[in-house]
Amino acid sequence: MKVKIKKWTGVGTWSYKVDYDNCGICRQPFHGCCPYCKWPGETCPVVWGQCTHCFHIHCMAKWLKAQEPREQCPLCRQKWRYA
Amino acid sequence: MSQNVAPQSTVSKNSTNQGPPFVDSNTVSKRLQGELMRLMMNPNKEVSAFPEGDNLFKWIATIQGPKETVYESLTYKLSLTFPSGYPYSPPTVKFITECFHPNVDLRGNICLDILAGRWSPLMDVHALLISLQSLLAEPNVSSPLNSEAAQLWPNQVAYKKQLLALYDKANREDKPDTK
Repeated sequence: MKVKIKKWTGVGTWSYKVDYDNCGICRQPFHGCCPYCKWPGETCPVVWGQCTHCFHIHCMAKWLKAQEPREQCPLCRQKWRYA
Repeated sequence: MSQNVAPQSTVSKNSTNQGPPFVDSNTVSKRLQGELMRLMMNPNKEVSAFPEGDNLFKWIATIQGPKETVYESLTYKLSLTFPSGYPYSPPTVKFITECFHPNVDLRGNICLDILAGRWSPLMDVHALLISLQSLLAEPNVSSPLNSEAAQLWPNQVAYKKQLLALYDKANREDKPDTK
């Protein structure tokens, strides 16, 4: 039998390459979004520091603002620098 | 051992900094509900906490004095008040039960770094209560709020005598009020 493909649709999946499932600040999964967002994905990304620890970008931004003028990773307390 | 900070700095920090903007109480409520759930499921009965009445932002906690220390078999009640910016800002924690301790003043204010400048949003109520429990056994006598307790601490026999005398006195005074 000879098959002629008329049309095909590609489906891809992706996930963050993270060592732990949840953001330590908000306790929500990285594949979801922070508590202040409605939709996961590009609008609520994960952000890494040079110390290798990661959080939702919105959670990290709130923490940096809350602890002004210090800027420390909430986990290791090293100076936070975006990786 | 971590560095201690005067409780006054906690109070002033909380009153001037109401947490970051864009916080909504619904999100904080959800977070507190989750923590309450985990605390109730936790088999560790040495620390416990529950909201006071209908207000999810004000809890009453109980910690047991750590075993094999002068505080063994003593029970302490504390009040926890959560700011609208929790967990970006720490809760305000005070002893309700009178606590004779180098880092606790006579009104129940606590001098502990993680309740002020070294707070981290990764902390939660359970971790906080465990820290307070270990503070009982490991005071920082170099920056005391109660200098009498700090001076007495090296002599554990005399310390325990004074501790139990004050604990019994406070509990006797409390009893008629609760009737």
